[in-house]
Amino acid sequence: MAINRRQFLIGAGGLAAAASTIGLSACAPGAPSGSGGGGASGGGTNLALAWWGNPTRNKNTEAEIQAFQQANPNITLAGQPGDFAGYWDKLATQTAGGQAPDIIQMDMAYIAEYGNRGALLDLEKDGADTSKFIEGTVDSGRINGQLVGVNAGINSAVIVANPKIFEKAKMDLPDDKTWTWDQLSDVAAEVASKAGVPFGLVYLFGGDPMFGAYLRQNGKELFTEKDVGFEPADAQAWFDLMMKFQKAGGIGTPQQISEEGSPGGGKGIDQSAIVLGKAALQYQNSNQLEALNAASGESLKLLRAPSLAGKATERKAWYKASMLWSASAKTKNPEAAVAWINWFANTKEAVDIDKAERGIPPNAELQEYIRPKLSPAQQEVAKFIVDIKPELASTPIAPPPGGGKLAEIMFRYESDVLFGKASTAEAAQKFVDEVKSNLQV
Amino acid sequence: MSAISELSTVHRVKAKTPEEKRLRAKEAARDNKAGYLFLLPWLIGLVLIVAGPLIASLYLSFTNYNLLQAPQWIGLENYARMLDDPRLLQSLKVTFIYVIVGVPLQLIVALAIAMLLNEGMKGLAFYRSVFYLPSMLGASVAIALIWRQMFESDGLVNQVLRLFGIPATTSWIADPKYALSTIILLHIWTFGSPMVIFLAGLRQIPGMYYEAASVDGASHWAQFRKITLPLLSPIIFFNLVLQIINAFQAFTQAFVVSNGTGGPSDSTLFYTLYLYQRGFGQFQMGYAAAMAWLLVVIIAAFTAINFFFSKYWVFYGD
Repeated sequence: MAINRRQFLIGAGGLAAAASTIGLSACAPGAPSGSGGGGASGGGTNLALAWWGNPTRNKNTEAEIQAFQQANPNITLAGQPGDFAGYWDKLATQTAGGQAPDIIQMDMAYIAEYGNRGALLDLEKDGADTSKFIEGTVDSGRINGQLVGVNAGINSAVIVANPKIFEKAKMDLPDDKTWTWDQLSDVAAEVASKAGVPFGLVYLFGGDPMFGAYLRQNGKELFTEKDVGFEPADAQAWFDLMMKFQKAGGIGTPQQISEEGSPGGGKGIDQSAIVLGKAALQYQNSNQLEALNAASGESLKLLRAPSLAGKATERKAWYKASMLWSASAKTKNPEAAVAWINWFANTKEAVDIDKAERGIPPNAELQEYIRPKLSPAQQEVAKFIVDIKPELASTPIAPPPGGGKLAEIMFRYESDVLFGKASTAEAAQKFVDEVKSNLQV
Repeated sequence: MSAISELSTVHRVKAKTPEEKRLRAKEAARDNKAGYLFLLPWLIGLVLIVAGPLIASLYLSFTNYNLLQAPQWIGLENYARMLDDPRLLQSLKVTFIYVIVGVPLQLIVALAIAMLLNEGMKGLAFYRSVFYLPSMLGASVAIALIWRQMFESDGLVNQVLRLFGIPATTSWIADPKYALSTIILLHIWTFGSPMVIFLAGLRQIPGMYYEAASVDGASHWAQFRKITLPLLSPIIFFNLVLQIINAFQAFTQAFVVSNGTGGPSDSTLFYTLYLYQRGFGQFQMGYAAAMAWLLVVIIAAFTAINFFFSKYWVFYGD
């Protein structure tokens, strides 16, 4: 076939355009083990510090960096703030390129991903001090016996309520010590219709902690050491429960649920339904109360997750590390990175700034020290964390590598069910299959 | 090209003795050196930015590579796994719909607007710029964000509909029935670059053809079918090929509108978005690289088909 010049040019243009796709997936393997985010310059040590957050946390962290630098004049920290949804893609890319930030704010969902693959520093070897932490708050950061994350604050999965919307509906806040999942559904439906808001309850089914709570009450877990900790039947029961809530009118229409998305799925919490006055109840982590109050101008209330038996003491609650401090295994200055972590975990200066925004401090002495200084909202959180002690069961293990996307996958199959594209049984089977297949790789 | 071959012929004729030949060779080597020097920036770019990653990606597609540890060779396993991946099928479906619906519609709109602008109206430059603007912005994050806001249940589109008494509450981005159409609409709206190319093509069609046709009593439609389309066919072909290739690689719009999930319910799971999720979300860069190569094969196939059929409808007047 004779190709004239014009045809050749079109073809060449096409090839060039196609080549850019390849570029997307091509990351140099074993990239140079160079700078872990900035080496020494001048007389001091430069470290990069990455975190995800909200406006309150961003302000706090900047102030903490200032205070830390004053206490350690030879260390300079460069902050890399981000939002949760984009944070992980960025961190993965940076890490693959050998440019991981020296100090990394880590989440339980991803700690095994990085820790198991040698990307995180063994903090104890470089002197991380967790001697004053209360029981059960250190080991969540341990992967294969190495401490790769230091708990930055304790929290617990809660349901946040807006009392004003309950007032408008002329309803009392429900008794969260005795409520069951079914009662939660009734309350959500009633408050939605009486107060005329789109959502009685939002986010509950999109977040894995609430699914985890439900599973634990049924004697299962989200994950075992190397596998999924539940059967398709358990997932189906959860999806059925969601449909029951939906049909009762408590969680909005499928479109509204889809538009609101999953918690942490893109909308910052300052744009979430309860902040905008569109929801009476919202699943959240306890440490976020302060930020929610700041964004909404309301004083929201914390409620426990429901139980199957109607007894809070049987709801198998747990203390979750709201986030952890980790350090890149490739940092050039492990001592300086650990210095930040120790400073944050064990000094009054740090907790004076952070208060309980990242969760209640796990350091027992600092917990005592800071409680009177907390804002009313944070005092409420601190009280809540102490109050639920009798309701605690064992601490769930970190998701194995590949398990960090469970919530995202779950929400996708829930959307299939909500829009009638799959039965709860089909969706549950596919959901479990997909989570399992991600773990095997 | 012809000038160069002429030069070399001249050299060949002139160089008779061995000594002369050696001299010529020396000269040529010096010329070549300069040539390569001028070529260097492009060559470095090609090797580092295109060829290097290209080869790396081909290699990675045969490995299990989680970004954090060295890649492990697993042969064709990634490709085998693709056969059994329901989300891959879904992403292909979404992408094919996007290409097959979006590209022709975009080209039709581009051609229609180009023909309007070609009527020699006042302020042509202004209108041309205005219509071109969306395609400069279309693939940007900002526009995708605005698109999302516009098509939300309380977005601008529904508010306008409500002004006209239509009680619109549909979220055009959160329902799997409409989400892809909304993104296709965004794609159509960015018709600027094919439009500019069409406009240039229309300008080249001599006006006397139309005059002659009018004298013969040909209708506007007949003129369009018998004069405009055939004479414009190489341009249409060019736009078609390039736009198909671009559309296959659409990413930003879907990423921003769905918050990177490809949702609701995978209805906007574009191929590149899924590739990105696999690579950067799930740490399966080997699989993602294999997916990228499948996309290259698909795009190459589409382009080949285009070229094959072009001889039946593309008319090169020269």
